[in-house]
Amino acid sequence: MKRWIPAGLLLAVLTLLPPLLPERHLATFVLLALAATVTVGVSLLMGYAGQVSLGQASFYAIGAYAAGLLAVHGVPPLLGLLAAPVIAAVAATLLGAPLLRLRGHHLAFATLAVQLILLSLLAQADWAGGAIGLQGIPRFSIGGFELREDLGYAYAAGFVLMIAVLIARNVIESRAGRGMRAAATSETAAAASGVAIGRYRLAVFALSAAFAGLAGGVYAFYLGYLAPGSFPVLLSIEFVVMAVVGGLGTIAGPLVGATVVVLLVQVLNTLGTQPGMPGYAPAVLSYAVYAVVLIICVLYLPRGLVPAIRTASTRLTGTRRPPTHPAALPPLTQP
Amino acid sequence: MSDLIGYLVTGLGIGAGFALVASGLVAIYRVTRVVNFAQGAFAVLAAMLAASLLGAGVPHGLAELGGVTLGALTGLIVGAVAIGRPGTSPGTSLIVTLGLGVLAYAVEILIWGDQPRSYPGVPGVADLAGARLQAHYLLIIAVTVPVFALMAWFFTRTDLGRALSACASNRYAAQVVGIDVRRMGLLAFTIGGALGGLAGVLTTPVQQVTFDSDVALIVNGFAAAVLGGLTRPVIALAGGLLLGVAQTLAAGYGGGAYQVEVALVLMLTVMIVQAARTGPVVETAR
Repeated sequence: MKRWIPAGLLLAVLTLLPPLLPERHLATFVLLALAATVTVGVSLLMGYAGQVSLGQASFYAIGAYAAGLLAVHGVPPLLGLLAAPVIAAVAATLLGAPLLRLRGHHLAFATLAVQLILLSLLAQADWAGGAIGLQGIPRFSIGGFELREDLGYAYAAGFVLMIAVLIARNVIESRAGRGMRAAATSETAAAASGVAIGRYRLAVFALSAAFAGLAGGVYAFYLGYLAPGSFPVLLSIEFVVMAVVGGLGTIAGPLVGATVVVLLVQVLNTLGTQPGMPGYAPAVLSYAVYAVVLIICVLYLPRGLVPAIRTASTRLTGTRRPPTHPAALPPLTQP
Repeated sequence: MSDLIGYLVTGLGIGAGFALVASGLVAIYRVTRVVNFAQGAFAVLAAMLAASLLGAGVPHGLAELGGVTLGALTGLIVGAVAIGRPGTSPGTSLIVTLGLGVLAYAVEILIWGDQPRSYPGVPGVADLAGARLQAHYLLIIAVTVPVFALMAWFFTRTDLGRALSACASNRYAAQVVGIDVRRMGLLAFTIGGALGGLAGVLTTPVQQVTFDSDVALIVNGFAAAVLGGLTRPVIALAGGLLLGVAQTLAAGYGGGAYQVEVALVLMLTVMIVQAARTGPVVETAR
C-alpha cells in the first residue's frame, strides 16, 4: 500500500495543478511534463543501465517528426501519437545494435554524432520540411473532439508522464530490472550470473527512446510546427543535466531534476526579458544556469538532489529507509 | 585533376585544424584519462579574442598569440575545476568539462555576441599545379607540421615531457618516483588549451567561428583522436588530415550536402570496429 503513495501524489499534482495555473504558465507546465518524461528514460539509461546518451533529443525529434508527418498526411492524430514511441524505439533498436558495443565516453560521443547526423539529414529532407520545418500539423483530436486549449495539452503531457513513471517503476522492480542494476554495478559479475547484458542494454535503450518519442509526439501536436533547430545538441545535454541533478537511479530524481532545472531557467528567462535587459540576457542566463547547476551537482552532490534529501531527512527524523541503488555517475572509463 | 589537388590541399588545411584539436584531447587524455569536452571552447575563445584584438588594431601574429594564450589559460582553469578536487573520477570530470563547455557559451555571448566572426588571414590566392586555392590553407599546414614535431620532441626529449609521459603510462609508478600527478594533469590541460586555441586562430580566416562551432570541432577532433585510441598523437594527426580530406572530397564531388555525415559515419565505423575487436564486455578493474 505504502509504495503507491508517491504515485498517488504525482497523479494528484498532475490532475489538480493545471486548472489552477494561469494561462501563461500552462506552456511551462506542458514543456516541463514532457521534459520530465524524457528524463525518466535518461535516468533509467544512465542510472540503471550505466550508459550515457548525449543524443536523447534525437529520439524526441524522431517521435515528434513521426507523429507530425503522419498527422500531416491525414493519419488520425491518436494513431500518430501511438506510432511515435514505437518508431522511436525501432530506430533506437536499429541504432543501438551496433552502437551499444561502445562504452563510456565512446558511447557518449557516438550518440552525439548520431544526433548531428540526424539534424543534418532533417535539414536536407524536403519531405520533412527541410531547414524551414514541418508546418501545418493539425491539433490533436480523438473522434471529432479537438484538443485546442493549453489546458488539454497540460493533461495530455501529464498523462504521458504518468505512463512513463509507471512503466519505469515496474521495469525496475522486475527481474529484468534487477539484472540491469547488476549490470550497472559490474558487467562481468552480472554476465557471469547469467544476465543477458547485451539484450538488457538494448532493451533499456529502446525503452528510453520510446519515452522520448512519446513526449515528442505530444510536443508535435502542441506546437503544430517542427524544425530541426528545435532539437539542438544542447537539448540532449539539458536532459542529462536534469537526470544528474535530480539523482540517477531513482524515479523521483528525474521528476525533481526536470522541475528544478525548468523552473530555474523559466525564472531567469523572465528576469532576462525584463525591460532594460539586453537581448542576449535570456540565452546567457540559461546557459550559465545549466552549466553551474551541472558542475556544482556533479562535484558536490554526485548522487543528485533526491538521494541527498533522503539522507538528510533520515538524519533529521532518525527513521531508516531501505538503501536505494547506489548509482552515482556511471563509469565512463575504458580500459 | 587540378580540382582534386585543390580539394586535397583545402582538406589538409581543414584537417590540420581537427588534428590540433585532437592532439589537445590526446595530451589531456594521456595524462589524466579525462576526455575533455571543453576542447572546442578553447578554439572558439581564442578565435574570438584574436578577432577582437585585430579589430582594435593589434598586428597579426600578436593578436593570434593573444588568442592562443587565452586558450592555454582557459585550459588551466578548466583543468583546475575538472580534476582539482581529489577523488574526482574521469567520468565525473567529463561531465564537468561538458558543463564548462556550456558555461563558455554564456561567456562568449556576453562578451562577443552570437553573430559569426572572422578575420582576414594570409591574403591572396596560391597557384599549385594548376589548382587555385586560398593561400591561408598553406599557412595552416605550415604551422601545424612544426607544432607536431615540437610536441614529439617535448614529450620524448625533455624531462618535463618525460614526466608527463610517465603519468600517461602508469600513474602509480609516476607518483612513486615523486611526480606530482595532479600538477602534470594541469599542465596537460594547459597544453591542450594552447593547442585548441591554435586550431581556432588558424582556421578562423577560412571558416567563420560562432559561439557554438565548438560542437563540430570537438566531434571531429574526437573522431580523429579515437583512431589512435585517444593516446597516440601521430595517429591523431593522420586521422585529422584524413577527416579533413574526406570532408572536402565529399563536399567537392557530392555537392556539399553530406560532408558532416561522411566524417561522422567514418568515426562511428572506426569506433564500432575497434570495439568489436576488443570484445563487448570489457571492464576496468576497480
